[in-house]
Amino acid sequence: MADHASFFLVHHLLWVTNNRTYASKYIPIIASVSEHQPPTWPSYFMDINVLAFLVPAGIIACFSPLSDASSFVVLYIVTSVYFSGVMVRLMLVLAPAACIMSGIALSEAFDVFARSIKFQLPGLSETSWSEAADSSGTHEMQSDIAKTDKAEDAAKERPLKKGKKKEKEKEKDLAEKPSLKSRIEKRLLVLPFEASLIALLLIILLGGFYVVHCVWAAAEAYSAPSIVLTSRSHDGLHVFDDFREAYAWLSHNTDVDDKVASWWDYGYQTTAMANRTVIVDNNTWNNTHIATVGTAMSSPEKAAWEIFNSLDVKYVLVVFGGLVGYPSDDINKFLWMVRIGGGVFPHIKEPDYLRDGQYRIDSQATPTMLNCLMYKLSYYRFVETDGKGFDRVRRTEIGKKYFKLSYFEEAFTSHHWMVRIYKLKPSRNRIKGKVKKSKSGARQNTCGSLGNPLQNI
Amino acid sequence: MFMQIDLTSHIVRIISTLKVENEGNGLLSDLLVALTDQEASHLAFLSVFQNEGKGKAKSPKASLPIEVLEPEGIHPHLTFYSVSLPRGLFKGETLTLEVWAVFTHILKPFPKQVPQGDPQLILLEDSGYYLSPYAVESQTLTVKLPDARIESYTELGKTKVRGSEIRYGPYQNQTSFTEFPISVHFEYNKPLLVAQKLVREIEISHWGNVQITEHYNLIHGGAVLKGRYSRLDYQASPHTNAASAFSRLVASLHRGAHSVYYRDEIGNISTSRLRSDSQKTEIEIEPRFPLFGGWRTFFTIGYGLPLEDYLFESEGKRFLNFSFGSSISDLVINELIVKVVLPEGSSGISVSIPFPVEQWQETKISHLDISGRPVMVLRKTNVVPEHNQHFQVYYEFSRFSMLREPLMLIIGFFFLFVASIAYTHADLSISKSSPSYLAKLQKDEVQIKLQQLLNIISQCLAIHDGLEASVQELSKTGDLQAFKTERKPANSLLKELLKELKPLLLFLQSSPQAARIFPKADDLVAKEQELLEKFTTKHSIIVDCYERKLSGREIENRVAPYQQKTTALRQEIDNLVDYIDGAI
Repeated sequence: MADHASFFLVHHLLWVTNNRTYASKYIPIIASVSEHQPPTWPSYFMDINVLAFLVPAGIIACFSPLSDASSFVVLYIVTSVYFSGVMVRLMLVLAPAACIMSGIALSEAFDVFARSIKFQLPGLSETSWSEAADSSGTHEMQSDIAKTDKAEDAAKERPLKKGKKKEKEKEKDLAEKPSLKSRIEKRLLVLPFEASLIALLLIILLGGFYVVHCVWAAAEAYSAPSIVLTSRSHDGLHVFDDFREAYAWLSHNTDVDDKVASWWDYGYQTTAMANRTVIVDNNTWNNTHIATVGTAMSSPEKAAWEIFNSLDVKYVLVVFGGLVGYPSDDINKFLWMVRIGGGVFPHIKEPDYLRDGQYRIDSQATPTMLNCLMYKLSYYRFVETDGKGFDRVRRTEIGKKYFKLSYFEEAFTSHHWMVRIYKLKPSRNRIKGKVKKSKSGARQNTCGSLGNPLQNI
Repeated sequence: MFMQIDLTSHIVRIISTLKVENEGNGLLSDLLVALTDQEASHLAFLSVFQNEGKGKAKSPKASLPIEVLEPEGIHPHLTFYSVSLPRGLFKGETLTLEVWAVFTHILKPFPKQVPQGDPQLILLEDSGYYLSPYAVESQTLTVKLPDARIESYTELGKTKVRGSEIRYGPYQNQTSFTEFPISVHFEYNKPLLVAQKLVREIEISHWGNVQITEHYNLIHGGAVLKGRYSRLDYQASPHTNAASAFSRLVASLHRGAHSVYYRDEIGNISTSRLRSDSQKTEIEIEPRFPLFGGWRTFFTIGYGLPLEDYLFESEGKRFLNFSFGSSISDLVINELIVKVVLPEGSSGISVSIPFPVEQWQETKISHLDISGRPVMVLRKTNVVPEHNQHFQVYYEFSRFSMLREPLMLIIGFFFLFVASIAYTHADLSISKSSPSYLAKLQKDEVQIKLQQLLNIISQCLAIHDGLEASVQELSKTGDLQAFKTERKPANSLLKELLKELKPLLLFLQSSPQAARIFPKADDLVAKEQELLEKFTTKHSIIVDCYERKLSGREIENRVAPYQQKTTALRQEIDNLVDYIDGAI
C-alpha cells in the first residue's frame, strides 16, 4: 500500500508564496506536496529548523570521545538522514535522531561555556582549586596553567623552588594521571569570559526561538486537519468545510445501502464520515478495483455509466478545486487514474490524454480528455460561475465549456464546489428502442395479475 | 361567531371566537367542541378560554378544563371535547369563549415533488363552516395566508379576497353539524421545519451548572426536491431558486447560557454565530448544507446554565423550573423526549406539567456513579411552540450527597497510597526459610556492613585531610605545638576507627554473599592501614624536622618519598571506594 500511495499527490499542503489564484491569496497552506517524494531543503528547514545546524555539531561532539554509545547515535543519525532523504514522510524517523544529536551538541556547548565562566569567576576558582590542591597536597598549583610556567613563579609564598616544582608536577602527573590529565585538557579549553557569556545567552535565545518556531509550526502546519481548510484574510478566518458538508449530506440524504464511487483517496473518509459503502478505499491491496474506478473516470460518459452500474454504484463523488484553487483535486490526480486504469485495462492509453506530452485541460486538450467522465463531472456547469470557465488551479480557461450530462445528474455540490456528487440516472430513461420491451413487460405484468387469482383458486 | 385560520406558519392555528347563548331552559355548565377525526389526529394543542376584553387574544391564556368525550354513536367520525364553563349559563345568558386549536401536518404540499427553482405549493382542506354541535346563528371565516400567490380556493357564497386574506361569510342560521369542505391552494415559500425526534437532556449538577444537550433530527417536510440539485442555481439566486430551502435557524437560548456548542457526529459545525446580551442569548446556526424539501440533517446543540436561576427550593424539596419545548422557533416536533438527569442520590421525584405527557424513570451511569443518576423521562408527540411552557421536577436531595464523589476520590487515592506504602514495607515472601529469601537477607546485611565500612573509611579520609591541612598550616606558621595537639587525638581516633573495621571485615569474610566484594574491601582496609602508617611516619618526620629546625627545603626533601606514596595510596583508596560504592 505504501509504495502504491507514493504515486499520488495526497492532500498535505505546504506553504508556498504564490499570489496568482484565489486560494493562494486566501488559503495559506497551498502547494501540494506528495508525502512520498524526496523532501526539499525548505521542508527540512521547516521541519527541523535550527536542529539542521546543531546536528553536525552533535556528530562532531560524538566523535571527540568515540564510545559505543556515541557511535550508535552517529549510525542512527546517518541512517535516518538517508531515509528521510528518500521520502518526506520519513522525516518522522529523522526527528528523534536530530533531537538527540542537537541535545548532545547543546549539552557540549553549555558544558564548554559554563566551564569557561566557572574557571574565570574569582570566587568560584579559588574554592575549586583549593580543593584540588588539598587532595594532591600541592598548594602551589593555584595559578593557571594557561598563564604558562614562566608566570607562575611570581605567585604567593611557596616553600619550594622552581626546579623542584617541575619535578613534583611530573610525580603528580604519574600519581593522578586520569583526573589531572582531564583537568588540564579542560583548562586548555577555556574561552574568554565575555565571549562565553554572550555565547551562552545566544544559545538560550536560539532555543527560545526554536520553541516559538515549533509552536507556530505545530499550530499552522501540523494541527490543521486536511479535511477542514482555513484561510486568513483581512476580514477574519474563513473556513472551507466542504468535505464534511458533503459527507454529512451523503450520510443523511442517501439510502443506507447506496454505494459511492470516488477515487480511493476519499474511501476511508467516506466510510467513516458518510457511513456509506465505497467501491475503493485507502486499502490498496486490490489494484484491480482501483483500476476499474480509474478506467470509469477516464472513460466517456456512457462507458463509465456501464461500469458504475455494473458495480451497483448510486453516487459518484469527485473533488474539484477549480473554483477556489484547491490544488489537490481529482483533475490533478487524474493522470494517475489513467495510468492505473491503463495498467489493467489496456484500452485506456495515457498518450490519448496528453497533447504533445503535456497534461492540459484547456482548448488544446485532446478530445479523449475533454470527453472523459472526470472532466465532465468536474466542470459540469462550471462555465456559468464566471462566464469564462477559468480554472484557478490550472490557471487556464477550460477547453470544453458547455455540455450536458445524459447519464448522470448533479445530486449535490458543496459550498465552495470542492466536492461534487452525481447520481447515476436510472437506466429506463435513456435506452432507445426499449418501447417494445416495456410493452412486453407490461403484458407480462397483466398476465401475472391475471394469473394470481387462478393460483388463489 | 368568528373563525380564523392562520396559515402564515406551517403550524396551523384555528382561532374561533364563540358567543354562546343558552336558549334552553336548564343550566348549561358544559360546552361541546367537535373536531373531525382527521383533524383530531393532527391536533397538537387545544385551549379554550373566556374572552373578557374586546381585544383579540394573541396567545393562549389559562385554559378552561377540557375533557375528551367518547363518541356517542351518532357521529362516528367526530371527536368531542367537553369544556367546563367558568360559570353555569341560565336561559338567555351569553358568554364569549375563544377556542384555540393548533394543528400540525395538516398542510399538504401539492404537487408533492417540485424541481429546484419551482415554488412550493401547499394545499389546505378543511371545513368552511364551523363544525358545531349546536345551531349557529351567524358565522364568518377568515383564512390568513402568507404574502404570496393564491393558486386557487373554493368559492362558497359570499367570498372575498382582500390582500392575503380570504373572507367567507357571514353565513346565517345553520343547523348543527353542517359541513362544507373548502380547499385553499397557495404558494408557501417557507420551509416546513419538522423535527422528527428531539431529545433534550437537562443534567443538574449541584456544583452550580445545568447542562442542556439537544439532539435534533430535522427534516424539511415540504415538497420533495425532484431531480438534480444545482449549487450554481442556489448560489446565483437563493430567493427565487430555493425559496423554500432553509439554511439558517435561530435558537434563542436561556439567559446566562455559556459554553455553547453546535456539532454533529463528525465534529464541530463551523457555521454558527453566537449573540448574547444581558437579556437573552441567541445562536444563529446553519446546517452543514441548505435543506431542501425532503432532506434531513442531524445536529446537537449544548450549553450550560447557572444553577441558581433554574433550581429552587420549597417545603424541603428542590425543584427544577424549566421550559419544555425546543429553543428553535416555528418548529414542529414529532417526538419530543425530555430527560431530566438528577444528581445521584435524589429521591421522591415528581413532575408537574400543564399538559399530559408520558413519563417514566431511568437511570444513567456517569462518572463516579455507583447506583446511577435517576433520570425523569418525559415523552410527548406532536409538540408545537404552544407547549413551550414551564414544567417542574421536584425531588429531595441531601447536601451531603454532593460531597460523596469528592470524598470517594479522596478516600480512593488515600487507600491507594496507603496500599503502596504497605506494599513497599511489607515482606511478601512466601517461605521464610527458602534459600533465596535467606540469600536476600544476607545480601541486605552485607550491603549494610559495606556501607558501614565505607562510612568509616570516609571518616578516616576526612581525618587525614584535616591533618594534611594542619601540615600546611604548620609550614606557614611554624606553630609546632598546635600541630602536635591536633595530631594526638586524630591518631587515636584513627586507631579506634581501624579497630571498628575489623569485625566488619570478619563478617564479610564469613559471608558467602560478600565473596566477590571481600578481596576489595580487604584491600581497602589494608591500604587504609598503610596510608595511616605512611602519614604517621611522614608527620613524625615533619615534627622531627621542625624540632631540629631544619630549613624548608630540607623538610621537603625528606618528606618527598612519603608524599609520593601517600598520594598514590590515596588514589587507590579512592578507586576502591568508588568500586565498592558502585557494587552496593
